[in-house]
Amino acid sequence: MEDQECAARIVVGLKKAGIEFVATLPDEKIVEVIRAVDQDRDLKHVPLCREEEGIGICAGAYLAGKKTALIMQNAGFLNSCNALTTTCLQFQIPILLLIYYAGDIGDRGFTTLGSVTEPVLQAMGIRSYVLRNTRDIDETLRGAQILADDSKKPIAVLLTKTVLGVK
Amino acid sequence: MQRYDCLKVIAQDTGNALAVCTGWSAREWWAVRPSDGNLKTRTLGLVSSIAAGLALALPRRKVIAIDGDGAFLMNLCGVPTIALQNPGNLIHLLFDNECYEASGGTATASHLADGVMLAKGAGYKHALWVASPDEFRAAFLNAWERNELTLIAAKVEPGQPAHLPALRLDEIENKYRFMRYLEETEKRSILNSGFDSKL
Repeated sequence: MEDQECAARIVVGLKKAGIEFVATLPDEKIVEVIRAVDQDRDLKHVPLCREEEGIGICAGAYLAGKKTALIMQNAGFLNSCNALTTTCLQFQIPILLLIYYAGDIGDRGFTTLGSVTEPVLQAMGIRSYVLRNTRDIDETLRGAQILADDSKKPIAVLLTKTVLGVK
Repeated sequence: MQRYDCLKVIAQDTGNALAVCTGWSAREWWAVRPSDGNLKTRTLGLVSSIAAGLALALPRRKVIAIDGDGAFLMNLCGVPTIALQNPGNLIHLLFDNECYEASGGTATASHLADGVMLAKGAGYKHALWVASPDEFRAAFLNAWERNELTLIAAKVEPGQPAHLPALRLDEIENKYRFMRYLEETEKRSILNSGFDSKL
């Protein structure tokens, strides 16, 4: 499946999960997803300068009743750790984190980043699910959003190259 | 002039606006405008971003960010994001006491770094310094009326009146009261129905 088709399916999955407000910061592997978010008239898109401020933007939108997602690379997740801890966890604010999993199995150049990603998520008590197959997109995103909403905590979905349709 | 001198002259003008505070300003703001529409943030820097998220999600509601120089400088990268979204219902207040007041009082870089120039450079169309509580109130009312994104900055002395009562709520209670207040005033359901829901 081509990257644009994968991106379209991910955006459909986000909308089926009830997401309506999306903040993003690009990695080249998720750029088609971000384009698709930007072009979707049902989604409010907030492009960011740094991922941590996106936690604040999404937290504010949640307080006003929006279901939110933040799309970023795993380096951006590391940039966001304080905000995730002292805003999302401390106030019990849910957010769906779609994290491109750089340094995943088979990826070159980011193994340090890849190796700390899941342990840091676990240390923070943020449940995470690796999304590899396009057929699992809808179920995983909807399930993750239900968990986020019900636990009032961030939930991470790690996006791999295969589900993004990128090399 | 202290931050409190400015906050107290606008309190009666803020109606049911939502107010997001950081650091010591929270105790002052609650004292001059007690309301469940007040939120105290805990992540240094994020006050402006959280206020912006609220303003974007509630475009017909006024939102006030009560920022400080330490927080503002920490979250400088959030300022262009806000400018790009340009929420007209957001009034961004910057109280610049040139120190990390709530963190022990050591100096920030703001005796050199100019908050108004930084906001304008980031794309805020309206950003200005004010030098007295009267100027502050006039600028605030102007921003309210104009309904365009505005940063109002004031150099202030550190410190606050000693008699202000402590906040009697934690983050979770603050959040729930804030969200219930929004449900009441926006007249719609915001929180999910909780453990009694049949999904």
